[in-house]
Amino acid sequence: MNPFAKVLLCTTSLLPAIVVLPPAIFAQGVDPNTVYARAFAVLAAEPYVKQGFHVREDYWPGDLAPGERKAIRQQLFKGNEYWFWLGTEVDHAKVSVHIYNSDGKLAEQPDSWAKDHFAAAHIIPKTTSTYFIVVSVEESPAAHTHWALGYGFR
Amino acid sequence: MLFSKRLNSIVAAVFGLALCAHGAQAPQHVKINQLSTTVEDVVVPLPNEIFGALNKLGAVNWKEYVRSEEGSNFAERPRIALLLGTVIADGFIAVQAEDAPAVKDIGQRVLALAKGIGVGNSITPHAKAIIDAADKHNWKNVRQELDRTQNSVQQAMNEVHDEKLSQLVSLGGWLRGTEVLTSVVKQHFSNDGAELLHQPDLLTCFQTRLQAMSDFNLPIIHQIQDALVEVKPLIDVANARIPAESVKKVNEITTRLGNDIIKKD
Repeated sequence: MNPFAKVLLCTTSLLPAIVVLPPAIFAQGVDPNTVYARAFAVLAAEPYVKQGFHVREDYWPGDLAPGERKAIRQQLFKGNEYWFWLGTEVDHAKVSVHIYNSDGKLAEQPDSWAKDHFAAAHIIPKTTSTYFIVVSVEESPAAHTHWALGYGFR
Repeated sequence: MLFSKRLNSIVAAVFGLALCAHGAQAPQHVKINQLSTTVEDVVVPLPNEIFGALNKLGAVNWKEYVRSEEGSNFAERPRIALLLGTVIADGFIAVQAEDAPAVKDIGQRVLALAKGIGVGNSITPHAKAIIDAADKHNWKNVRQELDRTQNSVQQAMNEVHDEKLSQLVSLGGWLRGTEVLTSVVKQHFSNDGAELLHQPDLLTCFQTRLQAMSDFNLPIIHQIQDALVEVKPLIDVANARIPAESVKKVNEITTRLGNDIIKKD
């Protein structure tokens, strides 16, 4: 069965998130697992939109084996506040996202969180600089766990 | 209605999840270059990320920066892509200024430029949404649609393996954003305002991308490459402060480039 159809049959809870996804994500060549991971990231972001965060349309996808990490370099501006949201489609996977400054020091707020298909990290940058958003698949029943990362700012 | 209720309940559930989720235990320190996979390129910020930070430093007269020049009609796709990036940035400026006629005009220009590089179909609904939202003075929606426009243009280009053109859209937006940032900070200098220019890794990323564009043998590409070499030492200051003189110099360079991007050689 098509994996996208399979996940839709498994749960309807993501349907609203998939509906609000930009059409570009359904473009030819986008992996259905990425669409699903992205839907979880969008779902995690939704409550923050009500708090005035502008959620960027772009997103960063990938897949990692258990125990692997990946860093995404990000220019952040002092004066703004940012949330990063990570989603994965894999049940029982443990994923995380954390924010480090250019010296590799943890720079996020203490209210960053992780649960089930989601993880989120919060930062109010002390300086305008490059930061590293480190995505990690800590545990997973899958050989490769798809993830999608999005962010918002206010 | 039922759908809306369902969506609200799911959103509430996720928000509840955030409240009951465990605080993520993170290592206090990582060696970035020792991560198991490669580090991605720098994410290019949207112009309104910079404008938002700038706004928090004090009131900005955004109307002063709204640009109404049409720009030239180019045949070269790289030139159209650069111009498209600057026009989208102009859209964000017009939103900051809450200038509905300018936003509507920009919506039309974005559509015309997108057609010029063959991605008009994916932009038409966004251009319409920008114009509708501007009519209603719904600035939040205009911002979202401008973001969607840039994303759709770049996705459409990436699909047909025109990644370099997609990168030029980002670069055009960044140059216009930097031009306006430095104009504002130059007028009312503050160290916090100047610090917003501290983007050396992003600049290096643009330089690397431009070096891979040797097939675009256009004067404007060479002009931008030369200009970035000039800008780099002015903003790559490690922990030092960026002085007013450097802000002024970056403004001169980016203003010159901005004019070159919208006018024919």
